[in-house]
Amino acid sequence: MKRLHRDSVIAVLLLLLCGIFFWQTFYIREVPFSEMGSEVWPRFVLILLFVLSIIYLLQSLANPPPESGPFSLAAWLRAYRNPIICFVMFAVFLFTLPYLGMLAAGILFVFVTQTLIGGASPRRLAMHAVISVVSVGGMWAIFTFALGVVLPRGEFFG
Amino acid sequence: MILSNLASAFIEVFALNNLLLMALGVAAGLIAGSIPGFTITMAVVLALPFTFGMNPIEGLSTMLGVYVGGLTGGMFASILIGIPGTPSAISTTFDGFPMARNGRPGLALGLGLWASFFGGMISAVILVFLAPTLAAIGLEFGPWDYFMLVCFALTIAASLSEGAMIKGLIAGAVGLLIASVGEDHINGAARFTFGFGSLGAGFAFLPVLIGLFAFSQLLSDLSDSDSARKPMISGRHKAVKLEHREAIRLNFMHWVVGLRSSLIGLFIGLLPAAGSSISNILAYDQSKKASRHPEKFGQGIPEGVIASETSNNATAGGALIMMMALGIPGDAVTAVMLGALTIHNIAPSPTFISTQAVLAYGIMVAYFLANFMTLAMTSGALRVFLLVTRVPLYILGVIILVYCAIGVFTLNNTTFDIWTLLGFGVLGFIMVKNGFPLTPMVLGVVLGPLAELNLSRALSTSDDISLFFVRPWAMFFIVLALFSAFFPLFQRASRLGHGWAKYYGAAFFACAGIPMFLMEGWVRSVLGAALLLLALLIAIKRMRSPVKDATS
Repeated sequence: MKRLHRDSVIAVLLLLLCGIFFWQTFYIREVPFSEMGSEVWPRFVLILLFVLSIIYLLQSLANPPPESGPFSLAAWLRAYRNPIICFVMFAVFLFTLPYLGMLAAGILFVFVTQTLIGGASPRRLAMHAVISVVSVGGMWAIFTFALGVVLPRGEFFG
Repeated sequence: MILSNLASAFIEVFALNNLLLMALGVAAGLIAGSIPGFTITMAVVLALPFTFGMNPIEGLSTMLGVYVGGLTGGMFASILIGIPGTPSAISTTFDGFPMARNGRPGLALGLGLWASFFGGMISAVILVFLAPTLAAIGLEFGPWDYFMLVCFALTIAASLSEGAMIKGLIAGAVGLLIASVGEDHINGAARFTFGFGSLGAGFAFLPVLIGLFAFSQLLSDLSDSDSARKPMISGRHKAVKLEHREAIRLNFMHWVVGLRSSLIGLFIGLLPAAGSSISNILAYDQSKKASRHPEKFGQGIPEGVIASETSNNATAGGALIMMMALGIPGDAVTAVMLGALTIHNIAPSPTFISTQAVLAYGIMVAYFLANFMTLAMTSGALRVFLLVTRVPLYILGVIILVYCAIGVFTLNNTTFDIWTLLGFGVLGFIMVKNGFPLTPMVLGVVLGPLAELNLSRALSTSDDISLFFVRPWAMFFIVLALFSAFFPLFQRASRLGHGWAKYYGAAFFACAGIPMFLMEGWVRSVLGAALLLLALLIAIKRMRSPVKDATS
């Protein structure tokens, strides 16, 4: 049997997703007197997705990509360093939002993420600090004072 | 009636407040377009949160400013550094960059600027005349026809995903699935909430859109550490002075190229989901084929720049026609605009132009104005727009991520939407890295409720399933959907010299001619008959021609 590769794995994951969602359609409340039940459209879409995923799986098994070198976690982390930093820092920003509020959490997020990606020389640190305060503070001011939007306030900082 | 609506639209669009907002939008579009890696869609998406507090005309005028500004701004980087600022300016690099390298950057930019203006103007005029007519045709559509139109939009989006049609279709289906999460719009039953109360209302459109288009795109751009730290455009371009007079002269001299490219752009804009990233390449290719000296293309020829820039700006008019007349987005940007209208509780449909006449005419007037504003602002402040491109990408990128979060929060004042943004940002990034196109997915999210609503209406009206296949318009859209879905296969078969590929065009005209022949009114019947005749002629011609051997 041919070795599973990235496309096949994605196809299998899609098939699993179809299975889970199809199972969930049996929990959709039945609506009396409705010509088309609420579960009909999702099932139609899921059957379509299932068929397409099967074709994708067969295609991926029939035309496997050329063999690449063995997977290396270090190389993978190197290649996706910046996106991972952004994802993690954005998640941290969201977790700290209830405590620090949009202004402080935003400034912190911009400063730390820019420093992690752009480097931490004294000159860059100063530049990142100024940019984060001015950019986030400016945007916060526009939304708060000009557009009248109440942005999240933190427990520690307003 | 039309005149009074038009007058009201003029008054609203030319209000000082609106003019200022539009000018800001055009400036933002020019800047975003000139930054390689940032797309016009991303710029329009980011402008969307600012429009919540505005009235619909102000909001749409601002977004139109960003849209038209972005289409023109895309040529800056294409001409000056040979890297397209946006996908809609890819073919501008082919001749614009060599022209700049040959010591005529001012002429290249001037040509592009005036070509963009003329393309925009031609499509704006056609927008005014064609949108109401198309809307009138749209009124003939029953739910069966509308459902098939949505299917066509999704298949064409997938078939335009080069070499990844199955992935495109899967992305579209996933988009439809995402749209079905939350309360069903028809019966009010909760679906796919998995016990999470926050999912009861489903995913808000804006966080999904920003996550997929802006967040994931930013992360892709930031992936390469070296390029993320460098300014996007290096070198000095302070000396660039636009050569207006010569550019206008050349544009008029090559008016056939401009007109043909505008019509190509407009046609591509009319196709659901196809946008300016396709039209500019197609128009360039057609200009090269039609030219008496095709060998000069790619060496800095004015026709190359004119073809690319007129077509991409003309596409906007076509996309707006589809959005206003049928409620189907012509491209990703008009998908965002549809979302913006939904936020204001306005749903474009064939009745949109008659029921929301002032807003509809306001969009048309604003589109005209945006083209004039873009011309004026580019001429006056080219240097300022180029300055912004010297900021390293990582600085802009991270600031925009926070801005995305603030913008998304303002929609419903809930942090769940920011989590949605992150989730779809991650999903979009993974999809792009694995070769799945995002446009079909976004169209799936936008068109999913429309498809379900029309399917439900159709089944409520009649339980005869055959109506989806025998009504002329439904049949017409099925034909378009099938032929667009099989188009990549045809292209491959044509390259390999398979016999059946010879008859693809004839089969298409024959199949499209039949439903047209069955439609009401003698004009369409005549057109249908003409298509059938054309199909017959092509088939006879192909039968007489020898089969091409792929190996030869």
